[in-house]
Amino acid sequence: MTSDEIRPSRLRWWWFVGALLVLAVAVLVSVMLGAVDLDASSVVASLFDRLPFVDVDSGLSDREEAILWELRMPRVVLGGIVGATLAVAGGSYQGAFRNPLADPYLLGVAAGAGLGATIAIAYGPSIPSTPFGPLPLMAFIGGIAGVAATYAIGYSVRAGRTAVTLILAGVAVASFLTAVQTYLQQRNAETLREVYGWILGRLSTVGWAEVWMVLPYVVVAAGVMLLGARRLDVLSVGDEEAVTLGVDPTRVRLVMVLAATLGTAAVVAVSGLIGFVGIIVPHTVRIIFGTSYRIVLPLSVVLGAAFLILADLLARTIAAPAEIPIGVVTAFFGAPFFAIVLRSSRGLGS
Amino acid sequence: MTAALTLSGIGVHFGTSTVLNSVDLTVGPGEWVGLIGPNGAGKTTLLRTVTGAVPFEGSVEISDADVSILKRRQLAQSVALVPQHPVLPPGTRVVDYVLLGRTPHLGEVTGPSRHDLDVVAGVLDSLSLSEFMDRDVTTLSGGELQRVVIARALAQESPILLLDEPTTALDIGKQQAVLELVDRLRRQRTLTVVSAMHDLTIASQFPDRLVMLARGRVVAQGRGEEVLNPKLIRTHYGAEVRILDDGAGGIIVVPLRAQEGTTASDSNATT
Repeated sequence: MTSDEIRPSRLRWWWFVGALLVLAVAVLVSVMLGAVDLDASSVVASLFDRLPFVDVDSGLSDREEAILWELRMPRVVLGGIVGATLAVAGGSYQGAFRNPLADPYLLGVAAGAGLGATIAIAYGPSIPSTPFGPLPLMAFIGGIAGVAATYAIGYSVRAGRTAVTLILAGVAVASFLTAVQTYLQQRNAETLREVYGWILGRLSTVGWAEVWMVLPYVVVAAGVMLLGARRLDVLSVGDEEAVTLGVDPTRVRLVMVLAATLGTAAVVAVSGLIGFVGIIVPHTVRIIFGTSYRIVLPLSVVLGAAFLILADLLARTIAAPAEIPIGVVTAFFGAPFFAIVLRSSRGLGS
Repeated sequence: MTAALTLSGIGVHFGTSTVLNSVDLTVGPGEWVGLIGPNGAGKTTLLRTVTGAVPFEGSVEISDADVSILKRRQLAQSVALVPQHPVLPPGTRVVDYVLLGRTPHLGEVTGPSRHDLDVVAGVLDSLSLSEFMDRDVTTLSGGELQRVVIARALAQESPILLLDEPTTALDIGKQQAVLELVDRLRRQRTLTVVSAMHDLTIASQFPDRLVMLARGRVVAQGRGEEVLNPKLIRTHYGAEVRILDDGAGGIIVVPLRAQEGTTASDSNATT
């Protein structure tokens, strides 16, 4: 046998191009549909018109251009960024902890962000939520603090630093932070509705400012996670065997968890808590395309973006003019979809 | 001649319990040393010490280089381990699993080169695993799996191969096949082999030298017929055995049942 006959699992270019096409369709449909429907060809023409050295008349009125570029596009782009980040972070957590149920809200990220947001809403200055305002800032700090507490407790366990002790520490920290948050909510009942709205997730208030705010964090975090994919494959044989293959599992886990948490905290700060994306997107990719993280993570970025853009489209159109919290949509449509994918798969081995 | 592996004054402690105590061991290039001893003697821990998986006191040298100054990758390029209970990631194909053995030779972010794939192809060929290349590792039989795990270790191209009870849970035919394979490979590739072994008869037949551990110490070492005697086995295993000549220069260790009214340790052993 020669090396030409060896075909290791890797991301095939046509899978990636197919995923990009799905994302492109999701973006196009999402910016077309709403209270005012826009024509597909006009939208595409307007998109090309924004390219450098290209001048195309889209045929859209100024009002329609404003709807496209000031209302829908930033929301779609941010939805894509949030979905991509939650999905790739979910895949990374699952690899780092070798736990299929790990998701971005493990390790106290969500609970910390929730507590931070509650404090900002209950005690912060009553100014509208802005990109650099107290709410996203406190949510970001809360998320990072939640993970820091989890790591401090998990690594103080004398029996050893294992993935399981960290997850258990995360459960303890999340329970504690949630209890504090519930207490603060009880003490400040007048803010209950606003806190609740944030917890269920929202993309309704976004503009380009939020996009530019989260982009640097997300690019760095996703870059680190994608570069670490090969190391996650090695971690899949367990810490002890990873050591014999020349990999430091503690270091890999720390880097991946920090990157996943940085990305998650950044997007949660602007979007609120949107659950389920980090579980179903990486698992769907795994079932359809293969279990190697060199496949799972890049495709999760693209398909996670497409998934959340479509979920947001449903959230704002299904009960128009009212909006359903996007977290409700991701769970309501995501769970049955995932069940179907799971049932129709041949499984992931015994 | 420079020893392939030298362990000096190795001590390992887990909390208040001492698992290894002042263990010295020297293994020559191309030599096969079998570690034997009762459960809890420290055989697996000794192998884990060499791979750097447990903190230890004393020194471990590989070809005169102290492992404490080696980077993890360098150590993995020198020592490969076949674990007793390998972790099998579901959905992983055999070729991807064996390719993991090339990890110490890959860059931080670069993929496998043509040379890496050549090595994997050669290993799969030499272990007759080419036809299993696309199988999920969790669907393999015990014998197939053992060969796949050995293939991953060989793909590391490390001069020292550690085997932790490599034939546990295999039937007698598979046990023989796996150990013959190890013997053939170590001669072809001049591998130094250290294996923890459970079956004393098999242990007497394959390694060049046996080292018996008990309560974390080396209690005997030498050729099979020197180490495997009823008195030592009674003392450290608490078992009564008879040692038989197999007629071909080897020995057979036969456990004896206790006579009615006596326990195993009360009965007399015969050589």
